[in-house]
Amino acid sequence: MTFFKLKPIAGQPLYIQLMQQIRHATETGALRDGDQLPGIRTLAEELVVSPNTIIKAYSELEHEGLLEMRQGAGAFVCVTRRTRLIAERIQLAQERIRDVIEEVRVAGLEDDEIQRAFEAELAAPRKAARRR
Amino acid sequence: MIAAPAIQTSSLSKYYGRTSAVQNLDLVVEANRITGFLGRNGAGKSTTIKMLLGLIRPTGGDGTILGRQITNPELNRQARAHIAYVAEDKPLYRYLTVAQTVRFAAAFYRDWRCDVAGKLLREYELPLNRRVKALSKGMRTKLALLLALARKPELLILDEPTEGLDPVMIEHLMQTIVARAAEGTAVFFSSHQIAEVERVADQVCILDRGCLVLDRSLDSLRESFRRVDMVFPVDVVEREFQLPGVERIRANRRQMSVLTSANAEGVIERARAFNAVSLEVAPVGLRDVFLAMVNGLESAIGKEN
Amino acid sequence: MLCYRAWVETRWRFLICLTVMLLPSVLYFHELGIFPMQHWTSDPHYAYGLLFGTHLPSIGIWTFAAVFLGLGGLLRERAVGTSTLTLTLPVSRAHVVGTRVGVGASETVALALAPWIVNSSISLFERTPFSRAQAGWCVLLLVGGGLVYFACAVLVSSVVEGEYTAAALMFALVYGIGYLADHVSGFSALNLYPLMSGTRYLDRNTNLFPGPMPWLGILASSSASALMLLAAVTITRRRDF
Repeated sequence: MTFFKLKPIAGQPLYIQLMQQIRHATETGALRDGDQLPGIRTLAEELVVSPNTIIKAYSELEHEGLLEMRQGAGAFVCVTRRTRLIAERIQLAQERIRDVIEEVRVAGLEDDEIQRAFEAELAAPRKAARRR
Repeated sequence: MIAAPAIQTSSLSKYYGRTSAVQNLDLVVEANRITGFLGRNGAGKSTTIKMLLGLIRPTGGDGTILGRQITNPELNRQARAHIAYVAEDKPLYRYLTVAQTVRFAAAFYRDWRCDVAGKLLREYELPLNRRVKALSKGMRTKLALLLALARKPELLILDEPTEGLDPVMIEHLMQTIVARAAEGTAVFFSSHQIAEVERVADQVCILDRGCLVLDRSLDSLRESFRRVDMVFPVDVVEREFQLPGVERIRANRRQMSVLTSANAEGVIERARAFNAVSLEVAPVGLRDVFLAMVNGLESAIGKEN
Repeated sequence: MLCYRAWVETRWRFLICLTVMLLPSVLYFHELGIFPMQHWTSDPHYAYGLLFGTHLPSIGIWTFAAVFLGLGGLLRERAVGTSTLTLTLPVSRAHVVGTRVGVGASETVALALAPWIVNSSISLFERTPFSRAQAGWCVLLLVGGGLVYFACAVLVSSVVEGEYTAAALMFALVYGIGYLADHVSGFSALNLYPLMSGTRYLDRNTNLFPGPMPWLGILASSSASALMLLAAVTITRRRDF
């Protein structure tokens, strides 16, 4: 049933990738409020990643309030008003990024060039810090 | 709760005459983690593992394995009751049959799991009554792995476990390793299959010529290792980019490629200061990190370019 | 389980040695059994047959077997690549060596006993007399005097590396010592044949062992064996594998 796909070489810890994918799944409605996620061992075996990756992702998401860990029963999706708000904000940002990408595509850039430009900007220090 | 490390060594060394196999190794392998142990052939990985298991006496230094001193034969023996180990050459007694081999191993360990052994025997399609000497190399590897995987040890040490296995078996083995880790077994494994290590390991240690050259969590490695490729309008000297955190620089007149382990921001700022006309930042795979960390052939190739 | 493994590892060697050991005794004894004797103690021919038909021919074969069964062990395992498996088991090295020595020594003792067990069975079947005490003396002389060959093979095996190096060296050693004892004066004590055969303690008239036995020789030989085995254990404990 899992639709998660972790990329070992992505410049991002696997647990963060997993968190993002679970978040994304709740935003798209693939995971709904009250849905149960696979157990740690099951998911680790399925994705063939260290169980610690799953543990870390689940506990961070629990901290965010997106997951509820029930003793002995597993992890359950818990979509609240707050998470819905975050989802909306992400959706908004995504639309803006889509526009930017479309713009630079029209300007003649290839997708991998765009991706690397994004990476470079993300890796650069934040503007506020740079000004100092 | 922070568990005591599964393996801890301090200044562990092994010399054969004047040549050193392992030099002042300070290694920590945490419990509840999967640790990948990388290095070229002859880097000292197997020697390290053999010292940990009491097969070889260290020339200097000492260490503990599951909290017991490795150089004390009796304590080492006690630790071995809770360790499953598969050696690089997958040793098995040629004169025993598969069934006899399994019974033999089962007799020594309290954590032996008959159900798992039976399941693995079926999955690996091992012929019970065939002698080891009549088995193919792949089957021998499977049998050697089975002896370690059919237990519930505190520590699982695998030396090149995937060697000689087909992709399906490698996937199966990796799943089994993950399953053991989920049960609380600390896993320490060496492999040349960097992609496999990159996928399942929490921590990675790289040994080169007997020295530990990298010991980091893969999370932090993914977060902070970057390759920055730059093109400048004029020639730029390498020296300008020898910043803290820079692991390797490859320069060719106006082009430069920098591998950083921590300070990508610094490199980017320096690039902007030199008016880079092109600046690309890409995440780095473990393979590239490995090649940058181990000296020898790769760096020789690097210098030629 | 270590015992079981040692047995499986050496059983073919043991069975080959056993077959060779039994051949002369069966042949001789059976031959003699065709002419049943009334009172075996009073008949020198019968005793002659018993002693020389079983004991003397078995000395050479048994010595060879003792060397054969003493060879092997951890260094040979290292040469064939299985020492890492054995030594990472949760057992001490002394235990590993001890088990091998125990199984090997038991096999050599069994080989020494085997012809006499066969002989006593045949004598029961053919209703010829048999003396357990005399057989016991023969076994004692053979094992007590000759176990040193076994111990020496164990020691050489724990010093010399290589799959067949120890075997080659050991047989060269046995031959060399034999040559030295026979041809160089002062080395005659190295010849264990008189001790193992017991011919000096034999009553010439009856060809039987009447009383005093070479206890000192047996003690010396056994002590040498014990020292060699101890040295083998000590060396193995200190070695890198």
